[in-house]
Amino acid sequence: MPETSYSVLGIFETPDALMKAIPKARAAKLGEVEAYTPYPIHGIDDALGHRKSPLGGMVLVMGILGAITAFGFQYWISAIDYPIITGGKAANSWEAFIPIMFEVTVLFATFTAGLGMLFLLNKLPFFGHPVLSSKSITGITRDRYALAIEAEDESFDSAAAAQTLKDAGAIEVEILPAPDRSPFLTSNFILRALGGIFTACVVAGLAMFFLTKWFPLLAPMKYMQDQPRLNAQKASTFFKDGHGMQQPVAGTVARGFLPTATGTQEEAASLVNPLPRTKEVFAEGRKVYVNRCEVCHGSLGNGVGSLTAAYGGKPANLQSQMFREYPDGKIYWAIVNGKNAMPSHAPYLSENERWAVVHYVRALQRAQNAKDEDLKVVAP
Amino acid sequence: MSQNKNASPLIWGATALGALGVLGSYVAAGHERFWANWVLWFVLLFTLGLGSLFIVALEHLVSAKWSVPVRRIPERLATLLLPAVPVGLIALGALPVLYPGTRPEAAHHPILAGKAFWLSIPFFSVRTLVAFALCMLGLAVLVGGSLKQDATKDPAFNFRARKFAPAFMAIFALVITLIAFDWISGLTPEWYSDIFGVYVFAGAFLSGLAATALCVLYLQDQNRLEGVRGDHLYNLGGFLFAFTVFWSYIGFAQYMLMWYANLPDEVIYYKVRLAGSWRAITICLATLHFVIPFFALVTRDAKKDPKRLRRVAFLMLGAHVLDMYWLIFPVLGTKPHFSWPELSFALFFIGGILLWIRGAMQKGEDMPVGDPFLREGLEFRL
Repeated sequence: MPETSYSVLGIFETPDALMKAIPKARAAKLGEVEAYTPYPIHGIDDALGHRKSPLGGMVLVMGILGAITAFGFQYWISAIDYPIITGGKAANSWEAFIPIMFEVTVLFATFTAGLGMLFLLNKLPFFGHPVLSSKSITGITRDRYALAIEAEDESFDSAAAAQTLKDAGAIEVEILPAPDRSPFLTSNFILRALGGIFTACVVAGLAMFFLTKWFPLLAPMKYMQDQPRLNAQKASTFFKDGHGMQQPVAGTVARGFLPTATGTQEEAASLVNPLPRTKEVFAEGRKVYVNRCEVCHGSLGNGVGSLTAAYGGKPANLQSQMFREYPDGKIYWAIVNGKNAMPSHAPYLSENERWAVVHYVRALQRAQNAKDEDLKVVAP
Repeated sequence: MSQNKNASPLIWGATALGALGVLGSYVAAGHERFWANWVLWFVLLFTLGLGSLFIVALEHLVSAKWSVPVRRIPERLATLLLPAVPVGLIALGALPVLYPGTRPEAAHHPILAGKAFWLSIPFFSVRTLVAFALCMLGLAVLVGGSLKQDATKDPAFNFRARKFAPAFMAIFALVITLIAFDWISGLTPEWYSDIFGVYVFAGAFLSGLAATALCVLYLQDQNRLEGVRGDHLYNLGGFLFAFTVFWSYIGFAQYMLMWYANLPDEVIYYKVRLAGSWRAITICLATLHFVIPFFALVTRDAKKDPKRLRRVAFLMLGAHVLDMYWLIFPVLGTKPHFSWPELSFALFFIGGILLWIRGAMQKGEDMPVGDPFLREGLEFRL
């Protein structure tokens, strides 16, 4: 990069003189005009004609991005990857996401404002600024007002710039050398920085280690750990009955466990299986059947299960004529309410699992009583 | 000014037409609906006046200098508390009709029985009268003193106001909470929310700010506020911007806690407002009261831009009306009521408020010329 950027600095005695000189310096069109003053001067932004800082726009965009990021993370975690019902709320409850969205918006926005200002706009890795090398710098931070015409390219005419500033009333004109932008990440600097970070870590780590060792009672955040709480399966003095775990309120129904077949078995006959006959549904039904039904009803559904001999009862033969002619609803009713010696399976099986197993029982029956045309369907 | 003279008969006509409609609605639209409208406009009138008085008190509290040149406007708007008193006294007629806590069967209600004394008509009325008296005190000290200072140029007023302002802040908190809890939250006495007073305060302050901004812009158009510039507008716009966020923060915080806890006596308030047509109104409210003003005022230049500020201030006032409507009208039932009675009330009260403000604007000085800080305020730059 050719080192051509340097500037001409004119020193003024009063802010008024500076303000008057600004339009003249700008009219000369020699380069970018910049002012350095010990304190803010009203109206100087407009006079210099600087374009608006892009920082506000950057902050807005990053803030919105922060909100979207936080929403996306939470939505993915709570609704897609690991949905857990908490407090009876739907998995994708946007209300619960808002506080975190707000925090992340603020985080993104403030980081953008701070780091964007330091690194993007003020070019932080370079500590110096050409005006700092001026011999008038102490005055500029106290009672002098400086106007700089800064070079934009190699055709910069520093003599003309100096003349313009003098004509505009500068009491002193100075030509500033190009800023020193030699590589600042020298090996010396990196080594010292790493050494400093390492020392800080060691000191902090040792301090924490000995502090907690010698002053173990000073645990700073133990209130949360020590607070009274209810433990599952443990006694507690909080409730009258002395149990930590409480029975749900009478009439509580878990999601997917709505009791739908509460009438007689005849009334349930008209219920229609809401599930489609897909591979997944049959697989689900098979899983449930193997876990819950097979020990008694047998793997073929013929009532010869592995428990039959030991238990001495006679589980229903689902392959019998009577059960083959049962409508789906009556099988469903039997699962929900139990029948004869069979207990109700409603507490263990969700609505979908009950209907899936009905489908599977149908498949078992069909497999034992296959018709000729069933062979054709398999073909492709 | 010629344009004004033409506008005046129009406002008088609209107000008279509104008055007819108001009378008609008492006869034809049912008492519940009449009183719901009356309470709505009492609350709007009162929050506008009290919000403006809060702006005045805030300036004295923090010894703000920038707002001295525009202070006469919230002072004039605060005088709306005077007509709010008769309107409020008439509104006491709504107590037996709309407020369940005042009915005899409340004595047997498991929750209301414990609050029976607080909700009874005599104590309710006494509280409202106390609130009015406290407002009049604030009005007399802050606004009356400032008007007198125009002639006397006595800086002692500034010291007196500065001493009185902290006390008035406590009074203000009490008054706005009383009015919010009694007149709005009292419509659903089984429901309660600690933060409700703050929510109504945010709306009241916003309505005062928006009205102030509109009047400043109106007077600027007539060259009556010499020296008030974009820097002053920027501060008004900044306040508007900040408090739209504050309003939505409080509103959402209240909603989220109730939504999370899901307690039947709390969540019913939102259950009503998130069902059927009220749901659409709730979404509209969030959009008009927060989303649009937020993005309209987010940039630095927008807060100085008179055109933009005027539009947002209009929107803010409308959103405040919608906000109070949203709080009060579900008491009439699950369906939102809006037709000629509501329009008549709007015509009558908006017309009346405009006439009152016009009258106030034509009296005395447009700036507090006796205030020693006026010059410093006019020299305010960002």
